[in-house]
Amino acid sequence: MERQEIIDGLVEILKTIRTIDQEKLKSITEETDFIADLGTPSTELINIAAKAEQKFDVEFDDDDIDDLGSKVKDIVDLIIRTKKKG
Amino acid sequence: MEISGRKVAVVGMGGVFPTCANLDEFSEKLFSNKSLIREWDKAVEQEKKIRSKVSGFVTEAEMNIEPVYSTLLENYPEVYIDLLNRIPDSNLSTADIGSIWAMLASLDAVKMSGWSHQETQSEVTGVVIGSGGGGHEILRHAWHNFFELDKKSRSIGSHTVDRAMVYRDAANVSCLIKNRGVCESIGSACATGLGNIGYAYRLIKFGLQDRVVAGGVEGTSLETFVGFDAMQVLSRGFSPEESSRPFDKDRNGFVCSFGAGIVCLEEYEMAKARGANILAVIDSYYNNSDGDGDMFYPSFNGQQRLWKGLLGNSEIKPDVVKAHGTSTPAGDAIELLSIVDCLGTKDYHICAPKSQFGHMLGAAGAVEFITAILMLQKQKVLPCLNANNLNQEQENFQKTDKWQGPTSPLADFRDILPQQSFEKEINSITCLNYGFGGTNSAILISKDNL
Repeated sequence: MERQEIIDGLVEILKTIRTIDQEKLKSITEETDFIADLGTPSTELINIAAKAEQKFDVEFDDDDIDDLGSKVKDIVDLIIRTKKKG
Repeated sequence: MEISGRKVAVVGMGGVFPTCANLDEFSEKLFSNKSLIREWDKAVEQEKKIRSKVSGFVTEAEMNIEPVYSTLLENYPEVYIDLLNRIPDSNLSTADIGSIWAMLASLDAVKMSGWSHQETQSEVTGVVIGSGGGGHEILRHAWHNFFELDKKSRSIGSHTVDRAMVYRDAANVSCLIKNRGVCESIGSACATGLGNIGYAYRLIKFGLQDRVVAGGVEGTSLETFVGFDAMQVLSRGFSPEESSRPFDKDRNGFVCSFGAGIVCLEEYEMAKARGANILAVIDSYYNNSDGDGDMFYPSFNGQQRLWKGLLGNSEIKPDVVKAHGTSTPAGDAIELLSIVDCLGTKDYHICAPKSQFGHMLGAAGAVEFITAILMLQKQKVLPCLNANNLNQEQENFQKTDKWQGPTSPLADFRDILPQQSFEKEINSITCLNYGFGGTNSAILISKDNL
């Protein structure tokens, strides 16, 4: 799965989270920070992770979620890494 | 301790009421002797699993609220959307349906109060709002998915706590209006609504706050309805509008209803100084417990002590008593007899708003407090709808040796139980509410400038 394909999928998830400023999703990149740039409440990060598991058909380890950064690239990396683990 | 000379004014009110778009429609329907009780489709769908099928319910669509269901869990309302943009999305994300009603009602009440942003957000502005039930719609689906469908905890998202915690209504309102004073919730079952207003009154009377947003909420919940249905205490066998019949001989249970009532209280001299429209003055609040160890059965003695505590040696006699009047066989008889034992049988009237909209549980005391304010404003007494036939015989408990109250049958009090709304000079009103656990609350309000 290409990284851009994953980002597009993440944007679809972010569109369902009403506390995120939807305008900012138009210019999202791998360096975009969910909290600092998108204003995502920190309580929503676990919702994003859970929905990413469903969308990309993966199951994250609890340790990986604990260590997850708040940038788009962090979750893209985690999805790819988890998929590789099979 | 009370601070001598410090008084408390009611300066704003708002609510969520069955079949009504706003407070004006609520008032118009009540004083037109209408019932707000309907057959409830959600109860009817359960067919023989539920005995009672009527309720004073409020739907999400009626309040212009739309649920967004989770893609991760079955039937889980992940968040609600306010189609009229009254509440920001960030506040909606932490709210169950009852908290949303509390926020909508608070916005209306604060607007009516005329408080500035500075006053609302002051360190001496508090929020005291409670609820009878507990975020059932959120918890039922979350726990079902976790325990029965084996989903991970993170699949239920991070908002089951804030959307279901005991003081969620107060917390959500506080986060919305950004007050800096106290934020708490009083729970006392069906006395919750009045208990929160009474506690708020004391916060001001005792000099701890200058303003408080106070009230009670009961979000529409089939789970709550089922719990009472299981106790066999809900009305059945009548048309919806005739189902709630406090004091009537054929009453057989209460109508389980839902709604919200919020009022703004303010220290009287401050309200007066800024030219506020003072809706009423709170003269006294008192609450106590039966002390007889019975969770459910009402206590004549407890209510006698309640009246004594409320009125003391003041010799005040209210023009209207807003009764708890649930339409349950035991509750109404004890209540009526304790009222006449204290006030006699003349020169006042009893009204029972639950006859028109049912029993709103944790919201009841607050919504009924609002009906008392409306009575003061309109100078009209609300009815005891459907109190058509009063028992001409003594109640069974009146025939026992240990009964120490009035021995007259309820029919002897026909003159003080109006079946229709009517005009009357009203200067003061007492509101009564009781709850499971043997808790009793009473408040006395009067017109300003008496």
